[in-house]
Amino acid sequence: MKNAVLVMLVAYLLNPFSWADVTDIPRANLETYRERVEPVLKAACFECHGPKKQKGSFRIDTLDSDLLTGSDVSWWLEVFEVISNGEMPPEDAEARLTDEAKAQVVDWLSSEIQLASQVRRSQQGHTSFRRMTRYEYNYSMQDLLGLQIDFSRDLPPETSSEDGFKNSSEMLQMTVGQLMQYRTQARRAMELATVRGNQPKPVYYGISMRDFTERFDSGYAASVARTGKRIREEGFTLENALEEEEEKYRKRPGGTHFRNLLTGQGVGARWSYPGAKYAWTPTRERPDIPDVMQDVVVLAPNKKFIVDVGNGLPDTGNMRVRIRAARLADDDERGQYQPTVRLYFGNQPSNDSRLSVKVGGDIVIDAPPGTPRFYQWDVPLSEVPRNAFRHSHKLGQLPNPAEFLSLLNTSSVPVSLVIDYIEIIAPALDHWPPESHTRIFFPSKETADQRRYAGEVLRRFMERAWRRPVSEDEVGQKLQLYDRLRPRCADFQEAMIEVVASVLSSPKFLYLGRTVERGEGSQRITDLELASRLSFFLWSSVPDVELLAVARRGALSEAAILERQTRRMLADPKVGRFARHYTRQWLGMEELDFLKFDAKAHGRVDPLLVESMKQEPVAFFSEILRLNRPILDFVHSDYALLNDRLAKHYGLPEVFGSELREVSLSSEGRRGGLLGQAGLLAMNSNGKDSNPLKRGIWLLDNLLNDPPPPPPPVVPEIDLADPEILKLTLKQRMEDHRDDPACSSCHSKIDPWGIAFENFDALGRWRDQIGGAPVDASSMLFNKEELRGIKGVKDYLLANRQDQFARALTHKMASYALGRPITFSDRSEVDRITVELRERGGGLADLVLLIVKSDLFQLN
Amino acid sequence: MHTPLSSLDRRKFLRGAGVALALPWMETFADPGRAGSKSSPRKRLACFYLPDGVPMPLEKDPSFKDWSWFPHGGRTDFSLTRCMETLAPLRNEMTVFSGLSHPAVRRVHGHRNADQFLTGANTGAMDDEYKNSISLDQVFAAHAGEHTRHASLVLSTDGGTGSPRGAHTLSFNAEGRPIPAEHKPKRIFDMLFVKSGPDAARRLALSQSALDDLMEDARSLKHSLSKHDQETLAEYLQSVRETEMRVEKARRWLDVAVPVVNADGLKLDVTPEDPRNFLRTMYELIYLAFKTDSTRVATYQLGRENGVGISDYLARAVGFKAAHGLSHETKNPDGYKNFGVYCRFINEELGRFASRLKQTPEPDGDGNMLDHTALFFGSASSAFHLSRNYPLILMGGRKLGFKHGQYLKYGRGNERNQATSGISSDSGWNGEMSYTELPLSNLYLTMLQKLGVETESFGGSTEVLSEV
Repeated sequence: MKNAVLVMLVAYLLNPFSWADVTDIPRANLETYRERVEPVLKAACFECHGPKKQKGSFRIDTLDSDLLTGSDVSWWLEVFEVISNGEMPPEDAEARLTDEAKAQVVDWLSSEIQLASQVRRSQQGHTSFRRMTRYEYNYSMQDLLGLQIDFSRDLPPETSSEDGFKNSSEMLQMTVGQLMQYRTQARRAMELATVRGNQPKPVYYGISMRDFTERFDSGYAASVARTGKRIREEGFTLENALEEEEEKYRKRPGGTHFRNLLTGQGVGARWSYPGAKYAWTPTRERPDIPDVMQDVVVLAPNKKFIVDVGNGLPDTGNMRVRIRAARLADDDERGQYQPTVRLYFGNQPSNDSRLSVKVGGDIVIDAPPGTPRFYQWDVPLSEVPRNAFRHSHKLGQLPNPAEFLSLLNTSSVPVSLVIDYIEIIAPALDHWPPESHTRIFFPSKETADQRRYAGEVLRRFMERAWRRPVSEDEVGQKLQLYDRLRPRCADFQEAMIEVVASVLSSPKFLYLGRTVERGEGSQRITDLELASRLSFFLWSSVPDVELLAVARRGALSEAAILERQTRRMLADPKVGRFARHYTRQWLGMEELDFLKFDAKAHGRVDPLLVESMKQEPVAFFSEILRLNRPILDFVHSDYALLNDRLAKHYGLPEVFGSELREVSLSSEGRRGGLLGQAGLLAMNSNGKDSNPLKRGIWLLDNLLNDPPPPPPPVVPEIDLADPEILKLTLKQRMEDHRDDPACSSCHSKIDPWGIAFENFDALGRWRDQIGGAPVDASSMLFNKEELRGIKGVKDYLLANRQDQFARALTHKMASYALGRPITFSDRSEVDRITVELRERGGGLADLVLLIVKSDLFQLN
Repeated sequence: MHTPLSSLDRRKFLRGAGVALALPWMETFADPGRAGSKSSPRKRLACFYLPDGVPMPLEKDPSFKDWSWFPHGGRTDFSLTRCMETLAPLRNEMTVFSGLSHPAVRRVHGHRNADQFLTGANTGAMDDEYKNSISLDQVFAAHAGEHTRHASLVLSTDGGTGSPRGAHTLSFNAEGRPIPAEHKPKRIFDMLFVKSGPDAARRLALSQSALDDLMEDARSLKHSLSKHDQETLAEYLQSVRETEMRVEKARRWLDVAVPVVNADGLKLDVTPEDPRNFLRTMYELIYLAFKTDSTRVATYQLGRENGVGISDYLARAVGFKAAHGLSHETKNPDGYKNFGVYCRFINEELGRFASRLKQTPEPDGDGNMLDHTALFFGSASSAFHLSRNYPLILMGGRKLGFKHGQYLKYGRGNERNQATSGISSDSGWNGEMSYTELPLSNLYLTMLQKLGVETESFGGSTEVLSEV
């Protein structure tokens, strides 16, 4: 089978037009031009733009009507514009264009233009050779060096290709600015990965809430002791104590406050920046960790707790923040809720200048009340915003040089957490030298001979960074660089840092893929190239040690081993990068990052809900991939990946916790699949209300790979000042708008899809009414089939468009996997994969495997 | 360290055969496109920032006539108040603006505004992640910086970068990161006029070697690629070449003698404890930098917003304890007058600097230095904490095409500045705008175009002010 395909491909390469039915290269639609369009133009345009007269120096009768291969495309674009906006024929001309005639011309022109652009793109060849994208560069650096740092923040963002993918070879350029960035980042990476001298002595903060409370209320400890005594000796109960407290303060403190869990006494927590009054100072010795105490700080949902750490933190290194925490035992004991807490880091030098950024993700506090345990975050201090005055000013001066940590309870239900002890260690090092250092400067017998050792270090690093064995010449060239630099550097390590940084700025690191001269025929790519292609597909990064070893042995192209490695990679946590980047690009989710909800219409939208909305499609994809569920689950599924906020947003039964997990859905078909996901619906709105046009286009383009032609340059606006128009519903307005013949040809294919989503508002919530009137989400497709709301769309797609959806997904995933647009010559392989996928039951992991095993992936 | 001859071979073409290294100007080695530009006149930009706004009394206030910052009157028949009369001799070389502000931050507390004065970016609210964009001077420096040893000079009284929304610098690079400002006259002088140490040469030599190596890598990779892919790689090769040229240029500057400047008249150890002399020294350093063509771009943030910095001392030059406090005490007896006396002093020193430029003939050019320099001064607040109707003055640059001798009022509904006056409490700065103003970046775009930068937009603006 493979040989046959190979022969076909070679034949195609030698003679592009010999296999019309296999490769299906489109041709210009000259028949329609001759039969329908030319007569119209003859009647309406040739008079002034023909053999007798050439108004505006323009002749339409001599234009080449083949837009795909002819050279008059730009003229035809002009014609398209002026006819569709009614400029031509002019008001005072004798000739007239009837509505029907206009529609003929516009119809033909818009589809020819779209086809022409696809063909021209195709003809540019199908190379996979390209630069790494920003995120691939970032992961590659992180994986190579073993550092969790953002190396890509100063690199310019990528543009998406027409397919929506960022890793498409045609769009990835290189400029001076970028090259300088790569060199800077490489040096920075090396400085961060390697160390000098002895292990730096860390500073420690050991803060008990008891001590903290003393700062606010110096009599606190004594009063707690007294009440404690009363409780033990006089039968005074906690209830009595709490009543007394409430009496004293008139109410229970609602904000963050300190409390003694035995006696109920409390005092509110506060913080302000002037004078750094609340700053803690670190010590050089690690304080002993006290036994669990009853004096705690209580954080209710959405409340913060600020710990001022002064200016005692070092400039670099890993800061470990540990909290001993548990859930608060509350009056109505709801054992199933567990609070989540997030870490921020910031500073406030002056009144109007304060910054506080999230540095640690949500941690679930699962310790039950009374049995707290430690939880921790690791924060790289070189990567977070620091207080610019921390060295130049003393505590107490202004601008204030102190920094603070802030803990935020991010639970969406009323459950609080309590903390009794906080420990901070900076830098916290588990080994010395750190693993990132010894990965590069590994122990060797040759360290005495610097140059020899340099050669060893370089060879090993280059082979990992460049994903292949390196030649003597290549190592020799780097050693020559070392020779030139060494005399100018203070020591061996400094010179090596420069040379290794060069290895990471080289095009042999930054560029992927490689093709053979066109005309040489397709060739199998080498095992090493296959390893790279595979790891950039599934991990967006360089191959790991195991994959490289298998490839070096020449074993990777063996079917069984390839499958095993692929499955191993699918099971590795790094596959989350594939889920994230592929899903976001496939579904065009970048729009969601820029979306602003209209405050007047929707009030303040919980940013944590928006975060969940962004995570939902990615988590959904991950789950389908992990369990090899059928790809049609993207169209409709009887489960969804939800957390507490999303379940509430969708009006579904309560879910506990902010982790997304699989939840069964009832069968009414609203949610389940991609079409009912709030984030995707919201980004296809305008922040205030739904946008059926956007939703229709999104479905056609992203899910069915059948994008409508782009709109003409001038689109007449709907006159919203017209009272008649205001009375119509959105659906009616669109129908009315659509009636213009210049518009109807395309819009009759787009609008019906979008209208079906009308039950979802701009936030993706379900609505049965709009402005008092019931929602009419029924529409008719151009082929007279009726779509009734979202359930109707799903039924229709499942009944009639399964193949189209499968082919679209295959096409898009193949494009992402190869890092280039899919051309007409690839179509046959895409079709073959789709057929085989359907025969196997159509699981998502099956699709990945089929792509990996295909000729598309294994030939260049 | 002497560079072995062999590694110079590839770069010989950059030098040209037999040209001595002592050539002071880089035009010979600049882009072919600039080949003829050796004799084109210099263009310069200097930007100055005053924090905390200016006196804005209401018309009915007795101090309105004398101590309102904005002039009285119309476009050409305006009269300067006592705040600005020290600038009277330069009347035909200046334009005063009202009705301009940055749209993204009109409802932001004035004390956060130094950050976006020259960028126009939306720097967010308290606690938000901080994002800024490139500043006006850096856009021009990218264009003009290659002609001079220093691409630009970034100064402030408080020094350093400051903090997000509390900047100590006016200049932000292409990634929106603050460029640290110098604030010690001795260091500034040494940087401009004392030969740089061996470390600079060393670092450049390292860069050159590293770039050679990258070039080799690119060449050897090229051999294994198809023709189409070679074209893709060509972008990489081109980037390496351009970087090499920049490094080469920087290295050449090391061999060029620094301009000889007589430092006798300068008190380089002065601090803001002696505010008038400090200001004069800083202005003088900018003057000398311009005169010797060490740079053509300078920014100087006279003070940080909200006091709490040494810049607060500047008010001591005219007998007050602290500058920031003056902006808060306008409702006290003589409040506007006191604030006005301070602003008058600031304008006076600015005028002194401008006059110095005016009295100096343009080296290698016609007219005087002021004719070739756009001096821009202002604040990002008018009344108390109010981020609107910025008080702005543009001076000089007659040969760049500025018309001057005008008081240009932009926007509608606030022609007499009353809507932005008489505010002394915090409810004032956050109120609704019943008047309109134009984006300040329209003026910035106008300035950039007159300075010879080919651009159609800046800071979100695509329109120019044709009256300027």
